[in-house]
Amino acid sequence: MLEVIDLTVAYGPVVALHGVSLTVADGSITTVLGANGAGKTTLVRTISGLTRPRGGSVRLDGRDITNLAPEDIARLGVAHVPQGQGVLAELTVDENLRLGGLWRRDPRGQREALGEAYELFPPLAQRRHLAAFSLSGGERQMLSVGRALVARAGVLLLDEPSLGLARLVLVQIMARIKTLVKDRGLTVLLIEQNAKSALSVADEGIVLHLGKVVARGRAHQLLSEEGLRHAYLGF
Amino acid sequence: MTRFFVLTLNGLTQGAIYASMALALVLIWRATKIINFAQGAMAMFTTYLVLFAIEHGAPYWLGFIVALATGLLIGAVVERVIVRPVESAPPLNVVILTLGLLLFLEALAPMAFGGQIKSFPPAFSIVGLRFGASQIAFSPFDLFTLGSVVAVMILLLVLFQKTNLGLRMRASAFNPEVSRLLGVRVGRMLTLGWALASLVGALAGVLIAPSVLLYPTFMDDVLVFGFTAAVLGGLDSAVGAVIGGLVMGFALSYVGGYFGSDLDTVGALVILIAVLMVRPRGIFAVQRFREV
Repeated sequence: MLEVIDLTVAYGPVVALHGVSLTVADGSITTVLGANGAGKTTLVRTISGLTRPRGGSVRLDGRDITNLAPEDIARLGVAHVPQGQGVLAELTVDENLRLGGLWRRDPRGQREALGEAYELFPPLAQRRHLAAFSLSGGERQMLSVGRALVARAGVLLLDEPSLGLARLVLVQIMARIKTLVKDRGLTVLLIEQNAKSALSVADEGIVLHLGKVVARGRAHQLLSEEGLRHAYLGF
Repeated sequence: MTRFFVLTLNGLTQGAIYASMALALVLIWRATKIINFAQGAMAMFTTYLVLFAIEHGAPYWLGFIVALATGLLIGAVVERVIVRPVESAPPLNVVILTLGLLLFLEALAPMAFGGQIKSFPPAFSIVGLRFGASQIAFSPFDLFTLGSVVAVMILLLVLFQKTNLGLRMRASAFNPEVSRLLGVRVGRMLTLGWALASLVGALAGVLIAPSVLLYPTFMDDVLVFGFTAAVLGGLDSAVGAVIGGLVMGFALSYVGGYFGSDLDTVGALVILIAVLMVRPRGIFAVQRFREV
């Protein structure tokens, strides 16, 4: 379970998050919605340790991880896929995938996990030994998610996976993620600007506006709330 | 013709040494986007330590190991103590710091080891090999120089391309933030990168010392030529650094041999300008991003 409690983050005098709280239960998808500048990316960066909060805390399965270094948070099984997918373009597909689970020092488990990742995303298997910069946007997204799989991550933080992807490709990738959530109890925090498609895959939703939570609830409820849709979600 | 042959062999050996200095610079550039101007001075210092050990009765080989070990250590210490605290400052600050370190080490060396010019013993004879009646301008020590540079390069290649540690180091160099998100301890990888670079630099110092004599600024030329070689190779490419080093070795050997050794440095400069006019980003600059 991932808990964010009363999180406040500021960049100098600019406060990006004001006392944001949220909980993502194991084996569920929570989406964080909001316009540009709402604080969505700041939220995931703070969870994964890249940004230090001014106040509040982040807990993983009850353990306080607020002040851990990003690499230590990653080693607790939190996989953050940054905006623009964060593949290491100069390394091959295979190297990118392997890197995800190196810290486990478990070569056998690693090989199995690699096999699973290639099985889940066949296009990656065909491009195994190519540098990641030759991949399409969709393949890069697959690579990032596959990497989280190789890391045996329990929590997946996805920052705007829809950015620059064809709708069909996104739907396919989200379907795979949904399978992982159901079969393995993967916990997903999905950051999205595209509210409609995010709410259609998520269990819970939260709407951020200028760093504050302005609405939260079951995803299907948020989808049907007329006023909210007009005011913040734009559809 | 004989003269050409002699100069070529000489260029090959010198080139191998410039190549290792260039490689040291490239390793650090790739990891931190910093030109370490103290690379030569650090190697000077380790070379003095070797001489100190030998003068106090240590056999050459022990000294050689001392050079490599202290090279590793000095690289790691410099990264941790000098570079790490200014990590987030503009890159220029760090570059100025490495210049400061260069001045510091070149001032410290005469105090610690004496400022007079000293001779440095080679591992093997520096008298040319004999084939039957004729002697060629290639000594067992030249062979050792070439051999050890090639060996170090192969070891580095295996480390970077074939091991998990190398994979982590490459990832940290390409994108530290994403690497941290993947659980890579980037800080340790940077320290290790500096340590390895400094080891390669230390090797260059021990190999060139017998032919140029030892004094506190004796590595300055090697740094300049190594830097030129690294730029020729594109700064980002290890293979480029090696080839750049060999190009410099041959070119300087021919310039020195045919036009007089006063023109060495001018020759280096002319080559640098000529190559950068044709390929502004170096011969082996890698194209990183796909054009969409």
